[in-house]
Amino acid sequence: MWIFGGRSAPGDPSETCVGRIVAWMIAQQILNGLITGSVYALFALGFTLVFSVNRVLNLAHGAVFMSAALLSYYLVMIGTPFVIAAAVATVVAGGISMVVEFVALRRLRRFSPHVMEFAALVTTLGADIVLVSLAHKLTAAQTVRFPFGTFPNQFFLLFGLRISLLQIIIVLSVACMLSFLVFYLYRTSAGLRLRAVASSDRASLLLGINPNAVYAQTFFISGIMAGIAGVLIALSFNSINAHMGESYMLKTFVIIVLGGLGSVPGCVLAALFFGVAQTLCVAYLPPGSADIILYALLFGMLLVRPAGLMGNAANISVVGRNA
Amino acid sequence: MSFLGQYIPLLDTVLLAVGFAFSQQVVLRAGVFSVATAGFAAIGSYCAAILVTRLEWHPLFAMAAACLFGALTGFLLAQPLARLRGIYQAIATLAFVQIVIAVTLFAEPITGGGLGINNIPKSVGTGTLAVAVLVTAYILHSVKQSGVGRAFDAIHQDETVAAVLGISIRKYQTLAFLISGCIAGAFGGLQALNTYSIAPTTFSFAFVIMVLGYIVVGGRRSVLGPVVGVAVLTLLPELSRFMAEWRPILTGATMILISTYLPLGLADTLIARLRMRRLSHAQPEGGHSVRTPS
Repeated sequence: MWIFGGRSAPGDPSETCVGRIVAWMIAQQILNGLITGSVYALFALGFTLVFSVNRVLNLAHGAVFMSAALLSYYLVMIGTPFVIAAAVATVVAGGISMVVEFVALRRLRRFSPHVMEFAALVTTLGADIVLVSLAHKLTAAQTVRFPFGTFPNQFFLLFGLRISLLQIIIVLSVACMLSFLVFYLYRTSAGLRLRAVASSDRASLLLGINPNAVYAQTFFISGIMAGIAGVLIALSFNSINAHMGESYMLKTFVIIVLGGLGSVPGCVLAALFFGVAQTLCVAYLPPGSADIILYALLFGMLLVRPAGLMGNAANISVVGRNA
Repeated sequence: MSFLGQYIPLLDTVLLAVGFAFSQQVVLRAGVFSVATAGFAAIGSYCAAILVTRLEWHPLFAMAAACLFGALTGFLLAQPLARLRGIYQAIATLAFVQIVIAVTLFAEPITGGGLGINNIPKSVGTGTLAVAVLVTAYILHSVKQSGVGRAFDAIHQDETVAAVLGISIRKYQTLAFLISGCIAGAFGGLQALNTYSIAPTTFSFAFVIMVLGYIVVGGRRSVLGPVVGVAVLTLLPELSRFMAEWRPILTGATMILISTYLPLGLADTLIARLRMRRLSHAQPEGGHSVRTPS
C-alpha cells in the first residue's frame, strides 16, 4: 500500500514511476478478473442454457457445481490422478444434473407454463437443499482442501503480467467448452433439435422430436459445464465446502440479468465484465462493500434496461405493465 | 404449567414463523414471485432493535417504525419489480436479500456487523405474538374477501386475462409488495423484541427457504395455509427428535413432493376437495368442474 502513501511533487521523476506501477497493478487485476470472469461464464452458461430450453431457473445448479468439486476431492484423496478425478467428477456432475431434471422437473411439465415456472423454482430449490445437506453431512460441515502439490504451482510472464499455469488451463478449458457449445448448438442436428424444442416443445413433438430426451441432454451439458467450473474453482481457491455453490448461484443471477436472460453472448460478456468489476471492487474498495455494489448492479440494470445487454425484450413481462 | 412452560419458546418460534409465512403468502397470492420477506424481516428487526437499544424508544413506537420501514422498503422495491415477469422478480428479490445482509455486515457501527445486536430488552411475550398473528390473519382474510383479493386472484390465475379485465397489474403488485413488507417488518420487529438478540445470519438463505417452504406446503390462497405449512415443517421435526439431523433433507424432499403432486398445498387442496364434494352433493348430475392447479 506504500504506493498510495506519499504524493511526490509534480515534475518529480519518481511520479511517472509510481504511475507506471499503479497502471501495472490495475492491468494485473484486470487480467485476474477476466480469468475469474471466464469461470463465471462457464457456470452461468450452463444455467442460461437450461433456462432458454426449459424456461425454468435451475436453482440446483450451484449444488451440482459443489458436488463436482467435492467428488474430485474425494477421488484425489483415494489416490486417483488429478486429471482422471476431474474428468470423472465432471461426468458424474452431468449425471446428477440429469437426475435433478428427472426428479424435480419431469412431472411438472403437465402444468401450464405459468404454474410450472413457480413450481420449478420450488422443486429445484428442494433438490438444492437435499444435495447441499447431503454434502454437509458427508464433509461433517468442514471445509476440505486438496493435498499440497495436486496441481503444479508454476508462473509465467505474459506481456509483463504474471499468469499461473492454472489460470492458463482455466482460460483454455473455458474457450474449449464455449466453442464446443457454439459448434454443438449451431452445427449439429442434435443442436438443431435442441433449438427446435427451445422455440416450441409442442411443435417439435409433432415433428417427431422427443422433448424429454432433449431436456435430459440440456441438463447433462449444463451439469458438465457446472462440473468443470466446480473443479476449476476448487483448484484455484483450494477450499471446498457444502455451501460453496450458493454464492456462485447468486453471482450468476447478477450475470444473467446483466447479459439478458437466455442470451449466450450476453452471458459471456456480462460474466467477463462481472469478473473484472468484482476483482477491482475487492482490490480498491473498503472490505465488505463489494457485494453491495455488485448486487446493486442488478437493480440498476432492471431499472434502466430490464432486458439486459443482449436479451429479448419479449421475455420481460407477459403483458404490458405501463398502466 | 411447568409442562407447558417448556414449550413456550417453541410456541414463540411457531407464531413468528406464521407471521413471516403470511408476509410470503401475500405476494405469492398476487402472482409475484418474491422471496423478499427475509430482507423485509431483517430491516424491521434491525430497525426495532436499533431504536430500542441505541435511542431508547418505547417498544410500541419502535414497532410502528419497523412496520413503516418494512412497508416503505416494499413499496420502493416494487417500483422496478412490478413491471417485470415472475422469474426476474425471483432473481431480483434474492439479490435484495443479499444486499440487505451485506449492508448489515458492512455498517458495523450501526448494526454491530457479524455479531449483530445483543441485549435487546424483552418486551414482547407469547400473548402479544398471538394477538399479532390473529390481527394479521384477520386483516388478510378481509383483504381476501374484498375487491383487492379478487384482483390478486385474477392476476395469479392469468395475467393476460387480468389485464384485459382492466386490472392494473403494476398497481396491485405494488400493493402486494407493500403489504408483504409491512407484515414482515412487523414480525421482524417482534422477533427482535422477543429473542434478546439478532444477527445477519438469522435472515440468510435458510430463512428464505423455510418461509417459501411454509407456503408451498400449506397453500397460497387460504389464511389457514401458512398455519398448516408452519405446523408441518416446524412441529414434525420437533416431535420426532431422532430425525433432527435429517431435517433439511426432509424439508427439501417435502418441497419437491408437494409441489409436484399437490401444487395447491395441503390446506388449499383440502378446501378445494371439500368444496367439490359440497357442489357434487348439491347437484348430483351436475357437470364436472375442471380443477386446474394454480
